[in-house]
Amino acid sequence: MKTLYERYHIAVKEAPPTVKLPPKFLVKRYNNCTDAQECTQACIYSVHETKEDGKIAEPHEELCRGCYMCVLKCPKAAISIGINPEFEKLGNSYFSPDRIKTIYFEAETGKVPVSGAGYNGPFAGPGFDSFWFDFSEIVRPTRDGIHGREYISTSVDLGRRLQSLEFDENKNLVSKIPKTIEIPIPMILDAPFNCVASSNLQLALAKAAAGLKTFAIVNARQYSSDLAPYKASLIPRINAEEIEKFEGLVKKSQIVEVMFEDSDVEGQLMKVQSINPSALVSSRFIYDEEAPERANALAELGSDIVHFHVDDDVVARDPDTIKNAILSVHSALVDKHNRDKITVIFSGGIAEAAHVPKSIILGANAVAVGVAYQIALGCRVCHENAHGQGCTMKLEDGDVELATQRVMNLIGAWRDQLLEVLGGMGLREVRRQAGETGRAMFYDDLEARIFGDKE
Amino acid sequence: MMQGELFHNPEVKPAPSQYPASIEKYEVIIERSKCSMCGKCAEVCPTCIGASSIDYEAYQKPNGYLRIAVPKISCTGLSCQRCVRECPDSALSVKISPQYLALGDVRWTADLIMSTWEQAEVGRTSRKYEYRVGDSGGGFDKLRFDFELGDEDISDGERSDTEDCDTSIVLNKRNDGRPETSIPIPVYSADMSYGSISLNVMLARAKAAEAWNTFTSTGEGGYPDELIQYKDHVVTQVATGHFGVNAETIKRSKIIVLKYAQGAKPGLGGHLLADKVTPDVARIREVVPYISLFSPFPFHNVYSVEDHYRHVQLMEDVNPQALISVKVSTPIDVDMVAIGSYYAGTHILQIDGGYGGTGAAPDIAKKNIAMPVEYAIPIVHNYLVREGVRDQITIMASGGLRTAFDVAKAIALGADGAVIGTAELVAIGCKRCENCERGKGCPSGIATTDSALKYFIDVDWGSQRIINLYSSWKKQWAYILKKLGLDNIRELRPSDEVKFKKGRFNHMAHLDHLK
Repeated sequence: MKTLYERYHIAVKEAPPTVKLPPKFLVKRYNNCTDAQECTQACIYSVHETKEDGKIAEPHEELCRGCYMCVLKCPKAAISIGINPEFEKLGNSYFSPDRIKTIYFEAETGKVPVSGAGYNGPFAGPGFDSFWFDFSEIVRPTRDGIHGREYISTSVDLGRRLQSLEFDENKNLVSKIPKTIEIPIPMILDAPFNCVASSNLQLALAKAAAGLKTFAIVNARQYSSDLAPYKASLIPRINAEEIEKFEGLVKKSQIVEVMFEDSDVEGQLMKVQSINPSALVSSRFIYDEEAPERANALAELGSDIVHFHVDDDVVARDPDTIKNAILSVHSALVDKHNRDKITVIFSGGIAEAAHVPKSIILGANAVAVGVAYQIALGCRVCHENAHGQGCTMKLEDGDVELATQRVMNLIGAWRDQLLEVLGGMGLREVRRQAGETGRAMFYDDLEARIFGDKE
Repeated sequence: MMQGELFHNPEVKPAPSQYPASIEKYEVIIERSKCSMCGKCAEVCPTCIGASSIDYEAYQKPNGYLRIAVPKISCTGLSCQRCVRECPDSALSVKISPQYLALGDVRWTADLIMSTWEQAEVGRTSRKYEYRVGDSGGGFDKLRFDFELGDEDISDGERSDTEDCDTSIVLNKRNDGRPETSIPIPVYSADMSYGSISLNVMLARAKAAEAWNTFTSTGEGGYPDELIQYKDHVVTQVATGHFGVNAETIKRSKIIVLKYAQGAKPGLGGHLLADKVTPDVARIREVVPYISLFSPFPFHNVYSVEDHYRHVQLMEDVNPQALISVKVSTPIDVDMVAIGSYYAGTHILQIDGGYGGTGAAPDIAKKNIAMPVEYAIPIVHNYLVREGVRDQITIMASGGLRTAFDVAKAIALGADGAVIGTAELVAIGCKRCENCERGKGCPSGIATTDSALKYFIDVDWGSQRIINLYSSWKKQWAYILKKLGLDNIRELRPSDEVKFKKGRFNHMAHLDHLK
């Protein structure tokens, strides 16, 4: 029987990592231990166990959750817990050890990270940490999406939207309705760093994109025949000067991403349209100060999508860059009445689930997730520094299924967290969150209003 | 009549840790291969190393280092190092212990946790640890009272005799024929459900609330019969799950709290994960054991201020003498919520900020949804002042208030008092390890209903620890009032709008905005 209605669902399932993280805690037993067994009794996570000979085994540090019960209950004060320096060395200041640990949890389980006790981090911070979501107290209707009591849509449309419809004197529609493609989550998968872009990884991403019913961007030069079955879920990324070279790819793709530097944008867009008139074109630029102006030009030239990438290293050094980038592009488009003429995608610095709705509320329609899924598969964000001498991310042929599942789990967990945010905000769909800065509460504004001289 | 005038502070009694070992800030390490076992270190140490605390038997084991076991009194640390200097074999070193470095976080720093333990043990602070502010980089952690700027003269100390210091507040200011209900300290204890915490912990909190003649709350998980003996000090919470809420439990309480939202997970309902829904918990909540409980959000009978009025009326119909408290979180229009709630007949408005505690919440909600309470208090206070109704409603702040100084700052920002949750749990041994939600729950036996773990906390011991903590806090409030030249804590609350100029307002300064 044909299903008339299908609720979007991401099939998550347990997917253990192939590259393990170092444990967060080091548990050290000093040699004044008398095998009194208090620690084995105290630990509810089975870190301490008794061996067959009645002695206490070496602690299973990977199970430790830092509760200190063994430390406190040891009659000889012979146990010490500390943070593992190897754990603290993970990633960088932005893709921090704790963020990496969270990504690992999400990729392994597909679940929303839930914990006890109140928030444990800084009051506020730069970039995405500089504002909070507003929420609905009592006067707006419920939007309980996470537990399925009410449907919240996380779909977004890729492509242009008409500002108005035009009719001739006989009341016939003359406007040409542009094509849009709906994806059920405001996330696509960005192409991986070159240093890790193996054919197995491309395959896992293609399969994950197909499973998620979204798209994965793939560098056209790395587009192999293995990927052909997933072509409906792939966006080939083509350098502006190589469009003719990849004519075949342009023809068979629903969306084509053209990577521009300073080339003739209008000419290249027309070139793609002449090869495949039904393809949506995404124009990709590295974000710079000309981006807001460029976004307006692209909207007016008829590019369906603009994808600005902010280098992850740049965001790591100054997390405000991604926030300011999105705000500036969005407001420039609004000022020139161009906002609905183009879909805006941002990538770079998307390190945790909250960064998806935070990018959207600042003005993006969707984000391209990059480094985060690489971390889930073992990347340590060394940015090619250690490439060749110890990159931990290796994807053997047998790992493709597992890698696919881990990417789907990660995105599944992020989508569920997006639902938590939308539910909290009382929003029925994520489309309505785009550019809703009025429903964000900015640290700078509140500080000035309460503790500054402004009221 | 002010009950505060008749009230006598409960007695502080020592309530030491129930464990043989402790988490120390410093540790002394002896390098075994160098040590000749002369005993000089034990001889010269002024406080920390008694001879008996070196475990010679263990010392005979091969390899590695020997850490001085069970220090009699905590090592005073890097400033002393006498044992290190006088060791003829250069075998000793003193360092900050790894567990101190791993303990806590920027909001609840290791120092705040350890100073709270110290206050719970002895009812005062030794000033050995930072006990006023954390390291979160904003809000309370950047606010200072005037006397804290520059060199603070601490010679008058935190007054040990606080019997005559008036820190009382009134919970009902509406003059509507219901009891005025004064509490001698400007705090009562937060809503925590049976299920999220153990019965013993609930009883310890209730007993401490009785001793301080203040209140604690049932939370969302129903009203266990064992609490009835403290019924004059137990608030019944009516939350969206309505677990164990009935006419009887509503009639039993002097205060009813309608929980509209919780700071840690605003816009989301309560979470109690399956493993913690033990048969006992399930019985009182009238649900099936071992299924996860997600309360709805919001109250489905309250979608407007008119509905809210009906909701308050409904409680009054059941218990006409009870005070009505409304617990809300902090959206940008929290001032509108406050005024609506005032007109609905609320006596107490509890504002629960985004960084508030929880037994289980999605991390994304804890960090990102709703604003910190430091902003919400003045927003609500100022609006109610402008509307001319500020003195007819009591504002209680909660959500990330950890110390006596946080409470005083909240009052100086416009609240009447505060609702305290996590600090009470830290007082009875919580280390903020954040594992309350999973499996059996809390390994320390606090946030658990596991059949064995739930007996960890002794009711008398736990209540004494909480009594001691508030005794210490009262000393600090008395000190603050004396420093500021105020007669009572109600005078600390501004009567007019809160307006910072050049980073200063009344008795306070914000370090980031000082000019």
